[in-house]
Amino acid sequence: MAAPEVLESDLPNAVALLKNLQEQVMAVTAQVQALTKKVQAKAYPTEKGLSLLEVKDQLLLMYLMDLSHLILDKASGGSLQGHPAVLRLVEIRTVLEKLRPLDQKLKYQIDKLVKTAVTGSLSESDPLRFKPHPSNMMSKLSSGGEEEDEAEEGQSGASGMKSGKGTAKKYVPPRLVPVHYDETEAEREKKRLERAKRRALSSSVIRELKEQYSDAPEEIRDARHPHVTRQSQEDQHRINYEESMMVRLSVSKREKGRRKRANVMSSQIHSLTHFSDISALTGGAPHLDEDQNSTKKRKKIAKKGQKKKGFRRRR
Amino acid sequence: MVSDVLHCGRATVPKTEIREKLAKMYKTTPDVIFVFRFRTHFGGGKTTGFGMIYNSLDYAKKNEPKHRLARRGLNEKKKTSRKQQKEHKNRMKKVRGTAKTIVGVGKKKE
Repeated sequence: MAAPEVLESDLPNAVALLKNLQEQVMAVTAQVQALTKKVQAKAYPTEKGLSLLEVKDQLLLMYLMDLSHLILDKASGGSLQGHPAVLRLVEIRTVLEKLRPLDQKLKYQIDKLVKTAVTGSLSESDPLRFKPHPSNMMSKLSSGGEEEDEAEEGQSGASGMKSGKGTAKKYVPPRLVPVHYDETEAEREKKRLERAKRRALSSSVIRELKEQYSDAPEEIRDARHPHVTRQSQEDQHRINYEESMMVRLSVSKREKGRRKRANVMSSQIHSLTHFSDISALTGGAPHLDEDQNSTKKRKKIAKKGQKKKGFRRRR
Repeated sequence: MVSDVLHCGRATVPKTEIREKLAKMYKTTPDVIFVFRFRTHFGGGKTTGFGMIYNSLDYAKKNEPKHRLARRGLNEKKKTSRKQQKEHKNRMKKVRGTAKTIVGVGKKKE
């Protein structure tokens, strides 16, 4: 009903398109013929090339052939239902899709090769330029052999002695001038800030925020203490030693006191009702944690109170 | 080996029971198994200790330290008193060389 009218209006369009198609086909045929001549004249040897690219080339060619076969059939009015070429096309297509990740992996290598082929030399920032050159190193064996040859040529005994020394030179350590180490206040501040930042990042506040905004599923695991204090590290070391040597180490009074203090600090109710200090991340005055300076203070006080009378066992 | 014993709600498990359990696990008799050094973690519920399993009781008798064998009644120590031992040693100090062996024995017989 409406079909013949639509067809009539489309006729001039179709004719123009067909003419275009014809011209393009002629240009492509000319190019393909030139390429075929070159390949037959063995201008492109591919034995030493990447086999993956060869496989891809062959697959693409087969794909094109099948596609053109289908177009031919369709153009002469046949139907594509159950055409064997369709199955072949599907197979080749799946193989090409599967080859795509391999292609990704080789991308860097291929790009580099192409660049090298085009520019003729390695680029400046190529890491291959920094590989070790063993030929540049001095070989101890070869130098000894050379000097021995000289002695054998009939030189005096003195030079023979010299050659003996030359093979085994005495090691003279380099003379270095000791330099005074000055950790400025600014550097110390920076270090403290770094440490406080790291501690704040692993505090409960930040962790809960992370859990809230991340898409990852919630993990419930038997995790170790996020703040690895010195005491917990020592405890871990002790446990490892005991289990590997199958012995039990005795705990001194001082060690017991330290452990009790560490336990008390971690099990305080203060940690439940107060958020940990994240001022390092937000900026602002940090308030010092107890275990940071306590060892230093205690050492100073102990030294003051200790008298040298007699030998006091402090175990 | 190191063994972790989990015993919720119970006091520390006695060594005999642990030996029996290990015997079942490793398909041996409990008399070649020696366990020692069990320590219960704070709060209860978990104990960690060491254990050894020998191929035969003869090997065990050769390789185990005397006190562990004594615990099982396989090794009896002499019960010389400490005082006597110290007196013997002091008598030995007065003599030099092979005469030491003679001295101690002679005095003891008196």
